[in-house]
Amino acid sequence: MSLRANISVMLASFRMRLTTITRYPGQIVMDILIPIVFAYMPILLGRSAGANAALNFAANTGTDNYIGYMLIGSSVFTLVNFAFWHVAYWLRWEQEAGTLEGLYLTPTHRVWVVAGTALYSCTRGLLSAIAAYLIGSFVLGLNPFQGEMLLALLFILVGLIPLYSLTLLYGAVILKVKEANALVNLMQWGVSFLMGVFFPIAIFPPLLKLIALLFPPTWMTNGVRSALLGVGYFFNAWYFDLAILWVFLLIAPFFGYWIFSRTETGIRKNEGVGQF
Amino acid sequence: MSDLSLPHMSKPSWIKAEISAFWAMVRKELIIMARYPVNFIASFAQVFLIVAIFTLGGSMFYKDYSSQAGSAGNSGIAVYGFILFMFMGDTLWTIGYNIRNEQVQGTLEQLYLSPASKFANLVSRVTNTLIWTGLLSITGGVLMTLMIGDLPFKNPLLGLYLLVMVLSGTFGIGFAFAALTLVIKEAAQTLANFLQFAFLVLCANFFPFSSLPPFVLFFSRLLPPAYGVDAFRSALMGFPDGMPELAPFPVEFTIVTVFGILMPIVGYLFYRWSEKLARKRGSLSSY
Repeated sequence: MSLRANISVMLASFRMRLTTITRYPGQIVMDILIPIVFAYMPILLGRSAGANAALNFAANTGTDNYIGYMLIGSSVFTLVNFAFWHVAYWLRWEQEAGTLEGLYLTPTHRVWVVAGTALYSCTRGLLSAIAAYLIGSFVLGLNPFQGEMLLALLFILVGLIPLYSLTLLYGAVILKVKEANALVNLMQWGVSFLMGVFFPIAIFPPLLKLIALLFPPTWMTNGVRSALLGVGYFFNAWYFDLAILWVFLLIAPFFGYWIFSRTETGIRKNEGVGQF
Repeated sequence: MSDLSLPHMSKPSWIKAEISAFWAMVRKELIIMARYPVNFIASFAQVFLIVAIFTLGGSMFYKDYSSQAGSAGNSGIAVYGFILFMFMGDTLWTIGYNIRNEQVQGTLEQLYLSPASKFANLVSRVTNTLIWTGLLSITGGVLMTLMIGDLPFKNPLLGLYLLVMVLSGTFGIGFAFAALTLVIKEAAQTLANFLQFAFLVLCANFFPFSSLPPFVLFFSRLLPPAYGVDAFRSALMGFPDGMPELAPFPVEFTIVTVFGILMPIVGYLFYRWSEKLARKRGSLSSY
């Protein structure tokens, strides 16, 4: 198939998903509300910690703006969460919808259909995360337009590709183990823990810190926090941290796709992908 | 099973049949759960991660984050609130979620054609989950104690009574939510998500009620489960200064007791009404 035809498939997959979600306006509201409530939890915990809460927070994290810190954490978490639920869960979703076999019979390679899903997921995740950050900031009395906004956006955009590549890796695990719901649920908390959703990863023991640093969302979260709140980059300068994300960007897609294809081929040769 | 529909059935054999039907339903749910071992392991790991995330997040507000997330009081508030949150989460949403599952699987109509008890059918959905949550709660409690220090543990019997009453009341809300599921169909999942988070804030499971802004606190005071959370953790922590926060303990005790007795009845009646409506409209299987 020509590139043009493949792109057309990708856009059709994107449009189909987008049309489906527009039928559930309540879900869209929830997408925005959940990160705000999620961030509100540790904020309230902080407010109960006494008069020195902000000072202690600054000493531990590098900023006394704990509202912004938590909101950024939960907004990036939304992006990560969407990526895992939409892409790692993609094959299961097709199975449940009864369209998987049809997909395997078409001349289009599945990667274009997944790309459409990823594009949809990115769009929905970005819109929800930005809306949650802005609305949450207004509701909780914070000026969201501070720091280097464009740099923060750059960290997110560069980080999205390795993030989605990572979900392909996880998709391979789901294909193998089958229990998609449990695994994605576990992963969303595992990722938020490793990327330091409400705390800096500097508090981790060395081995755990190393694992966290191998994870693109950790660099995204810290990059956005550093750009907006000035908590400090891992390598002291934004371009070094961004360069690491670029390395992830160059390696992760190939690695993710290679693992996913190998697993998929193995399963198709054995029990087949239809079983779940 | 067909004996259940016989009008001349004596009371002891009716009870026996009810228990037998209930046990069969519980066993069926247990078999399904046992077929997903990764789910079992994942839910344990998930509890650990949730505990770790909130504990570490909260500890950032203290000078020495590595040794203590706060005073014994703060850890008690978070741990007991978390335990109650897990139990409440199960009883509140599992019934409605399972009803919807039956609709999706296409087995709900068959269930309603059988003479088996509808009440047992609803309760059986939660029984296994409650046992499982009990184990998870103990794990969560131990983990949190290890991470944030000694936990006050006073008045265990009073605590148990309050836990049972809160669960009984939330069972009632669960029935009502199941009724709503039959009416609002797909939107129920979204509503459950929203309410779960709303309850998390309004019942102040992870933090003291004093942290809530007055506007939010006003809504907390309207919710009986919030009094349950407050009374439960105050009792287990031995009523430290300033606790309970929402009302004097005798008042909270009364609210929780009335909630625990009346809410299951109200919720179940609401469910039966909604079910009858769905059957009349023929919408029981549409979702």
